[in-house]
Amino acid sequence: MTTARLGSVRDVDWRVALRRYGWNTGVWLLLIALLVFYASTIPSFGSFQIASIAKNSLPLVFLAIAQAVIVIAGGIDLAVGSMLILSNAVAAQLMDEQAFGITLMVAVLVILMAAALNGAVGWVISVSKVPDIVVTLATLFIIAGLALLVLPSPGGGTSDGFRALFTGSATGTGTNFWPALVMLFVPMLGAAWWMKHSRTGLSLYATGSDPTAAYLSGVNTARAKIVSYAVGGAFAAMGGLASLAITGSGESRFATASNFTLKSVAAIVLGGVALTGGIGSVVGAAAAGIVLFVLSPVLSAMGVDPNTAQVIQGALIVLVMMIAGIVQLRRERAA
Amino acid sequence: MSDKPLLQADGIAKRFGTVVALRSANLQVEPGEIHALLGANGAGKSTLVKALSGVHRPDAGSIRVNGELFDVRNPRIAAEAGLATVFQDPALIPDLTVEENLRLTNLPSEVVHDWLERMDLADVDFEAQIRDLPLPTLRLLDLARALARDPSLLMLDEITAALTADQAEHVFAVMEDRKSRGKSVLFITHRLGEVLRMCDRATVLRDGQDVEVCVPGEVGEAGLVQAMLGEVAKATPDESSALASLDEAPVALETIELRSGDEVRGVSFSLRAGEVLGVAALEDQGQDRLFELLSGDRRADAGEIILADGEALDARSPYDAVRKGVVLVPSDRLHALLPKRPIRENLTTPLYNKITKWFSLAGDEKQRVDSAIDRLSIDTRAGKQAGRLSGGNQQKVVVGRWLASGFRVLLCFDPTRGIDVGTKQQIYHLLRELADGGAAVLLYTSELAEIPLVCDRVLVLYDGEIVDEQPAVNATEQALLTAAHGISEEVA
Repeated sequence: MTTARLGSVRDVDWRVALRRYGWNTGVWLLLIALLVFYASTIPSFGSFQIASIAKNSLPLVFLAIAQAVIVIAGGIDLAVGSMLILSNAVAAQLMDEQAFGITLMVAVLVILMAAALNGAVGWVISVSKVPDIVVTLATLFIIAGLALLVLPSPGGGTSDGFRALFTGSATGTGTNFWPALVMLFVPMLGAAWWMKHSRTGLSLYATGSDPTAAYLSGVNTARAKIVSYAVGGAFAAMGGLASLAITGSGESRFATASNFTLKSVAAIVLGGVALTGGIGSVVGAAAAGIVLFVLSPVLSAMGVDPNTAQVIQGALIVLVMMIAGIVQLRRERAA
Repeated sequence: MSDKPLLQADGIAKRFGTVVALRSANLQVEPGEIHALLGANGAGKSTLVKALSGVHRPDAGSIRVNGELFDVRNPRIAAEAGLATVFQDPALIPDLTVEENLRLTNLPSEVVHDWLERMDLADVDFEAQIRDLPLPTLRLLDLARALARDPSLLMLDEITAALTADQAEHVFAVMEDRKSRGKSVLFITHRLGEVLRMCDRATVLRDGQDVEVCVPGEVGEAGLVQAMLGEVAKATPDESSALASLDEAPVALETIELRSGDEVRGVSFSLRAGEVLGVAALEDQGQDRLFELLSGDRRADAGEIILADGEALDARSPYDAVRKGVVLVPSDRLHALLPKRPIRENLTTPLYNKITKWFSLAGDEKQRVDSAIDRLSIDTRAGKQAGRLSGGNQQKVVVGRWLASGFRVLLCFDPTRGIDVGTKQQIYHLLRELADGGAAVLLYTSELAEIPLVCDRVLVLYDGEIVDEQPAVNATEQALLTAAHGISEEVA
């Protein structure tokens, strides 16, 4: 009896695996189903469509990863959208008319700047103990304001090479989907590996999961918070750079910032990240980011008007969460 | 080794808000000894351990390790200095796997695995999530993790409470092993038999102070209990209510074979109107769960809770229970109150369900609030926010709001935890008065000495079962403590 109670869970391995990776798998399957459905509804589906979806979903994917890292560590950042437009504005100003090498250096600089700035936000939160949502609501406006100061009207630009880096072509349109796929998967898998395999990454999960237990096991929880915001800032900057590469010029609009923030939250929720922290992965969040992006072309291909499409997007999120809630409830009853 | 003690804590004090957890505690642990830290519930044992392991920073006092002053700023620093602790709640991250938890603390999993093997836990799956593992496994895992650091002082806070007998043996073997290597163990437990068997010396805490350092083998179980209790203030019980008539009083609440997980394992009792029924238990014997079941916070796996009219309680939430007149006074008062709202508003909270006029309370309900304030002599001028009241006054507000709304069964879960003596008396007096007025009161208190003062009968809960029932007048603290340690069971 005693040994049975203490026994390993190896015999139910597949159930554990399903529970742990179930959500990720589900979101990726949902994405594949959507893509297959999309391919069957439009007259031709080829490398042009793949490239288009891959590159155009990049900003939201990066933002979803940013938000996922921060929420997993127990925070939430309403300013990721502002960080995206600020990075976009700064990069567009500095990269305009520059050679590829310079633009690459600017890109690194912008990412580091965003990481430092957002790390400072994390520091303020952990020192002041003001709730994350309050501080980042303020920085949503502050950072968006900075972006408007940097780039009051649409403009600026970047090098052809830099555009090709994200989109596969100097003009931002084309059939070469490889660069976009690499930009999609490499940072995502890199972040996922770092989160689960480095001690720092694990300390983010620990802090979000149970701050007390984390502190008792010797985790520097304040540092974990700062790191999560810094990494989130870096990914938000990646989003800004991606959108610069896609459009070829910069644009600062507050509506873009707030819209992207809301979508990033929607993406992580759909992607299986618990808003209470500690649960989920950047892989699921990234997939959900693509799903949210792909929904609009899919619905318009089905002839649904854009306003109705918004309603359907919202309903989808609620539906998925309800299903997840019911599954969770059944699991707890069974336990 | 020098002749300096391994650990010397002098005058450690710690208070949380208005509650004094430690007044001035001294503790000395020598190298190579197993030292017990004893005390009744709330004596400050856990707080002292947390001060020594860097979780709480003491308000006053000094900690020396090998004679050197040591500032324990956080748990990591404590662990690096060789002070490893297994806390009462496992310090493992529920959403991470075993392996990830070890990586987080930078411990090689082979070493931890070796220790687990020695404790018969070699089959723990390191890929399993912590939340899927049973509590005893987690405690031993936490122990293995602490051992992997080869600490000079291992602090075990009630580690055996959640373990089965054979698992506890593994812990004892580990303790012996530490001792034979010249390392020390600080052992906290409620089980005095373990202390007699394992410990070289014992420090007894009472009310946040150390009152005695002794050799358990010399003073024996009785001596330890005596030291833990101190001089029991012999207050005379109130003029004893007619006990005989209670047998004929109607039953207000009855439980039949109530079960919930491993915590409550077939509890049956009946509570009569006009009675204060005491529940005596050590920590974690299922009393928390029992009160959760009765107050509608959790549903039982099996068994029934029947009310006066033969109706089942069948509560889905505390709201249902309150509607049927079963109300709870919890130990954590701030949990029960709206700390930032005014006192009057707190008193009327349960009345919100009964509002008969829009935007204002019905007249007689206002009167009821007034009368509750009067009866409890709550100082309403003390502050606009209930959270600013002293602990005792907060508890009076909690009782008062049920007075204002009306109830049939009052469940009191350690209502006087951390409350000064004077207010304690008032609360007990009030409970007695309520019972004499026909209410049924179920009272769990960690202060066993007070049971004969206020209760009519007392149930002793041990390991989720009722092991003893007696009239409260006979229930001396010694008798209750003995029964609560499950000792009578061994005799039988």
